[in-house]
Amino acid sequence: MAPFPITGRFVGDFVPHLVEVDTDDTMDQVGKKVARFSVGHRIPKPKNLAGYDVFLGDVLLSASTTFAEVMAENTILPLQWFDVRFRSPEPADA
Amino acid sequence: MLLNRDDWYQTSRDLDWTLSYVDHEVAFPAEWGGTDGIPAEAWEGWDEPFRVSYRDYVRVQREKEAGVKAVSNALTRAGVYEKLDHAHVAASHLHMGTTCMVEHMAVTMQSRFCRFAPTPRWRNLGVFGMLDETRHTQLDMRFSHDLLKHDPRFDWTQKAFHTNEWGVLAVKNFFDDVMLNADCVEAALATSLTVEHGFTNVQFVALAADAMAAGDINWSNLLSSIQTDEARHAQQGFPTLQVLIEHDPQRAQKALDVAFWRSTRLFQTLTGPAMDYYTPLDQRKMSFKEFMLEWVVNHHERILEDYGLKKPWYWDQFLYSLENGHHAMHIGTWYWRPTLFWNPNAGVSKDEREWLNEKYPTWEDNWGVLWDEIIKNVNDDCIEETLPDTLPALCNLTQLPLGSAMSRHDLEPHQLVYKGRLYSFDSEISQWCFEQDPERYAGHESFVDRFISGKILPADLAGGLMYMGITPDVMGEDAYQYEWAKDYASTDA
Repeated sequence: MAPFPITGRFVGDFVPHLVEVDTDDTMDQVGKKVARFSVGHRIPKPKNLAGYDVFLGDVLLSASTTFAEVMAENTILPLQWFDVRFRSPEPADA
Repeated sequence: MLLNRDDWYQTSRDLDWTLSYVDHEVAFPAEWGGTDGIPAEAWEGWDEPFRVSYRDYVRVQREKEAGVKAVSNALTRAGVYEKLDHAHVAASHLHMGTTCMVEHMAVTMQSRFCRFAPTPRWRNLGVFGMLDETRHTQLDMRFSHDLLKHDPRFDWTQKAFHTNEWGVLAVKNFFDDVMLNADCVEAALATSLTVEHGFTNVQFVALAADAMAAGDINWSNLLSSIQTDEARHAQQGFPTLQVLIEHDPQRAQKALDVAFWRSTRLFQTLTGPAMDYYTPLDQRKMSFKEFMLEWVVNHHERILEDYGLKKPWYWDQFLYSLENGHHAMHIGTWYWRPTLFWNPNAGVSKDEREWLNEKYPTWEDNWGVLWDEIIKNVNDDCIEETLPDTLPALCNLTQLPLGSAMSRHDLEPHQLVYKGRLYSFDSEISQWCFEQDPERYAGHESFVDRFISGKILPADLAGGLMYMGITPDVMGEDAYQYEWAKDYASTDA
């Protein structure tokens, strides 16, 4: 369990943020941590929010995968860029 | 009989010594002059059109000084400042805090020309440039000192560059690089030719016109007086470019291409918001993009063509950035307003929005929808939702937020690993600039890097504000206390 800084972009917002995640965080938690700086601030919150999807490059990361597991399988340096989108059958581009 | 100037001018400006007790290379090191690969005799062709003598210089400058001070004294007595629009005043806070010490840095750059430039003609002109920049620093300080009793933000004219305020760090980073770190040749191309001869037109001519329209005659007059000096000493760039073109055109192209992009990003930050958002709507002359196209783009294209250089490879991306970059910097600075030492004006009332959409056809889709959520929060009395609680990710070249160069639809990662460290960039162009000379930029820590390396404590926004030197008496807030949002209150309901 350790804090780790990432560059988190909520797709549709104009700027990515410095986001502190924990290596024990699941991607569900990482998605929420990234989204909270954009959704409801500059991006409207949808009425039926199904959660958030997290992407490393073009790869959708499983919601239950922990950040530590992502680090074990990929080279992740401080400030690595992660994308987050609304989870839905047809992801909405805000 | 007193000689005419033409009888002695050529001799006086070409006066040089034949060194006997020190090697020329020791007295004029190539790394200071930037003369590697250029034969010494090439500099004999270095010439400039202004032909200024010291006597002429002092006479003209004295007249300029008297003019500026007469206007300033009269307007101070008339209490004009108290009647100015709040948003316009923010533009002068921003200008003074981010420009005055750049003028002072330019004194050092010009003094390097005086000492290390490879031709006495250039060294001679550098003396006048050095005196110019000293005058500009003092003008800014005098102007701000007079107004300090009205607003402590004018203290930042002197103070800003002694703080770690993030925007100031971005400005300082660029000018440290092209004024203080660069050799004479590169400084002349990046600063004299690119910044002073091109971009300062936007800040000192266009903004002066806006200031005059806003009734700020004192500031307008000061800007115009400074620009007359800039127009002269900026001439050091052209003959330097001519020499470099003949002996190392690739170096000339690269130096200009890097400087032009870095200047663009800086002026998108300093001038763009002031022109398109802070200047009262009925007093705007042209949009920032229109000024850029007329005063910078045409001008730069002409220089490149005249000297047989190509447009930068990123020219289309640059033009696209003119539609977006300063809008990004504006919404970003407004949102992160507690980190500023001026009060930004949102500038998105319905009338202003109509103007923005007319000037920038993609504004609504790129930026308006983001403002809509902010407006909703303002009108729902959820101001805390319009304030930041983390930092934006920053570019390791420009020190500006990622995403602030293009539109939100174009935002994508530009990252590279250099010597084990991950670097981030606001655009493909900024990454390219870094790749041209990575050692030059690699060691620097952005504000975000300082945050995660533990230099900023406590590691939260309050700690960040303390590290920046932002105090409650200057901390930025909405210039009109959200009055502009009432426009939308009925449609929200």
